[in-house]
Amino acid sequence: MRKVIKSKRLNEAYTKITHSSGLTILLYPMTGFSSAYALFATKYGSVDTRFKTGDDDGFTDVPAGIAHFLEHKMFESEEGDAFSLYARTGASANAYTSFDRTAYLFSCSENFEQSIEILMGLVMNPYFTAETVHKEQGIIGQEIKMYEDAPDWRVFFNLLGALYHENPVRIDIAGTVESIAEIDADLLYRCYNTFYNLNNMVLAVAGNFEPDTVLKAADKLLKPAPQIKITRGVFEEPETVRETRVVQHLPVSLPMFQIGFKGKAGTEYENVTGQILDEVLLEIIGGEASPLYRRLYDEGLINHTFSDEALSSRDYSLCFFSGESRDPDKVFDEIKKEIVKIQKSGIPQKTFDMAKKAVYGRYVGMYGKVDSIAGVMVAAHFAGMDMYSILEAAADIRKDELELRFKTNFDVSKSAISIVMQEE
Amino acid sequence: MGKRLIRKEIGDKIHFSSIIDEKFKHNRLSVNFVTPLSRETASGNAVVPFILRKGCREYPDFTALNEKLSELYGAALHADVSKYSGYQVIEVSIRGIDDRFALCGEDITGACAQLLASVALDPKLDENGVFHKEDVESEKQYIIDTIESLINEKRGYAISQCMQFMCKGEPVAVRRYGYRAEAEKITPESAFQAYQMLLKTAAVEIIFTGSGSPVTAEKVFTERFSGLERDSFGYELVKLRAKADKVSEHTETMELSQSKLVMGMRTGLYENLKQVNAARIFTALFGGTPFSKLFQNVRERLSLCYYCAARFDVATKLLLVDSGIEYENKQKAQDEIMAQLSAIQNGQFSDEELTNTKLLVNNSIRATTDSLASIEGWYMAQILRGQNIPPEDDVKNIDAVTRQDVIDAAKAVTLDTVYFLTGTAEERQGG
Repeated sequence: MRKVIKSKRLNEAYTKITHSSGLTILLYPMTGFSSAYALFATKYGSVDTRFKTGDDDGFTDVPAGIAHFLEHKMFESEEGDAFSLYARTGASANAYTSFDRTAYLFSCSENFEQSIEILMGLVMNPYFTAETVHKEQGIIGQEIKMYEDAPDWRVFFNLLGALYHENPVRIDIAGTVESIAEIDADLLYRCYNTFYNLNNMVLAVAGNFEPDTVLKAADKLLKPAPQIKITRGVFEEPETVRETRVVQHLPVSLPMFQIGFKGKAGTEYENVTGQILDEVLLEIIGGEASPLYRRLYDEGLINHTFSDEALSSRDYSLCFFSGESRDPDKVFDEIKKEIVKIQKSGIPQKTFDMAKKAVYGRYVGMYGKVDSIAGVMVAAHFAGMDMYSILEAAADIRKDELELRFKTNFDVSKSAISIVMQEE
Repeated sequence: MGKRLIRKEIGDKIHFSSIIDEKFKHNRLSVNFVTPLSRETASGNAVVPFILRKGCREYPDFTALNEKLSELYGAALHADVSKYSGYQVIEVSIRGIDDRFALCGEDITGACAQLLASVALDPKLDENGVFHKEDVESEKQYIIDTIESLINEKRGYAISQCMQFMCKGEPVAVRRYGYRAEAEKITPESAFQAYQMLLKTAAVEIIFTGSGSPVTAEKVFTERFSGLERDSFGYELVKLRAKADKVSEHTETMELSQSKLVMGMRTGLYENLKQVNAARIFTALFGGTPFSKLFQNVRERLSLCYYCAARFDVATKLLLVDSGIEYENKQKAQDEIMAQLSAIQNGQFSDEELTNTKLLVNNSIRATTDSLASIEGWYMAQILRGQNIPPEDDVKNIDAVTRQDVIDAAKAVTLDTVYFLTGTAEERQGG
């Protein structure tokens, strides 16, 4: 099945193919670019720690960090590691695990055919032994320790830990040294066989390549995957936050903070489109053109590092401000006050128009580079939409829907502050 | 492959360069003031772009300036400070979407050029003709905070410390934001004087990249820069010692989970392009790829770390190897790194490894033509090195590197400094 998806606004198009193997393939050839970027992703991330397949009676709980561990291990096969295969093509290869997906990728400017075949082979051929699992525990243990020393990472996960009671989004993607010690080859196979089913996966390619090359490789290497029923464990997450203030002491020059607002999560589609609204709201509340930003800046409470972000996916939706400050609690107070004030007085039309233009401009930016296009194709696909509808949603934001979202996603009683600072 | 750079001199040592490629959806314009890096002037210069970013004569109010940027579809106006070898580069830049995506047919590109020219060259001044006190105070504090925040990111901090020890007293060791003591001395008068000095003495590089037309940008900057009295310096890269006499060791303690090892090496090089390219390939083979000697041995075989990488700085010709490890594994990691260096010196690498390394290096060179920021970075580095090698020519140069060139490059490497950043004794026992 083949479908061409077009954007009048960008004057561009891409093709969506449902391959006989069950895999969804998204192809976005771009003229003038030197490199091609391919992303092979499964809808399986760090939050998928409880699941059952088919008609299993009970749920299986797996150790935190296993999706990320599996990602590392997929690079090994009986014949050796995938990096040495890619080495012959010149492709630059990597992989990442996020809360809700695991993705394998490469970028190349030549030998695309060989590289796409290596990518497919890598994802389709698991190989785990007690020895290779043990070796990886040492490497990932050091990765975890590296993040323990990273204040920007710690301030973020401490915020998630404060906002969420049960949702596994609160746990570090790589897990802990203790949790990964529980991982063995059998557990890895169990997760692989559940989530690396082609019906649960997508391959997105953007840039300099021939679409037929991808399809030929898929015909050659991908066998039809059995239909699989995956039920993901639902964590009963209260609407309230767990803690309103959390502090960790690490060597940093100035206190670093993140101030988060726990939103109401809907369906994945609602969360992805809602995120655009959140970004407009963040721009209105604390963007560089906002009165709040100006006030905090003039009072020396924030500096250039002040920024905001909306984060929504599977079953979570939150917004946060980050920065450095000598008095983070004061910043928290001021932000809350400003939100209540705007919620009372309403959003002025001029402010709305400006913020919308700024966010729309940013969204156009996502369609500019091969890696970002492949990423957006995957994200949109997993949310059940096409990638251009994200841009159209940004171009068509209405003030009334924004005001509605403002009430549910910026409830000051569901907010928290995370601070990382030097011990006094 | 990418389009060619067009570079014109529009004033005394003031150049306007452009690369137009219709595949992009954005336009980016930057003004770079290049000046020799020195301990005395680094902080005073570094504060300038941040003060400029606060407003200009046309938009004296910070909020009004930011509103204008929102109107321009969220155009990003940035102040930045970087260093390249012994140069400090003071930059203000703007990046906006191309006019063809405007919702109401606006001339975004022309407006961005006008705005950047105003910010860079027509600042708002107080009644004494200098920068406003409030702006100077807030940005001075920001510079001090930025200097102090170096410790936040441990890997970068460790590398920077190794450089400080290795190049003590030389301009390349000076930190790009300078030092607290110098930053404390900033006043509205001194900041304005630093700005005046940059206008007068810095080499100026204005670079336009994107899909739109650079015509407005060139016109505006040519006009605004005309009539300026100039006494600018000429580019000349500093030369560092090519060889280490002895190894110096430094250990520093901090509250940490993971220790950081950095080994600073000299590559025996000054400027010969062929040798520099050999050193690039040697470094990639040594520790620049996931199939390199260091990745395969220190990480994969010995499982000592998550990262162990070698990087060659073309600007200074220095080579740094760094890794995040357990405290007790320091000697083991260090020995293995040196053993891998000897292996390459003895020619213990296959032709396939060499070919593969060149393929990967060339892949990343080609990829620079796919983003505006990387194109600009590429040509800025070329300009600062006094050359103009487009990526496609560089690919050919890399292909020409032979096995013997790599062995020779490896043999010229000498270990100069070993820097170790580690947790305190109690934490080591606890962790």
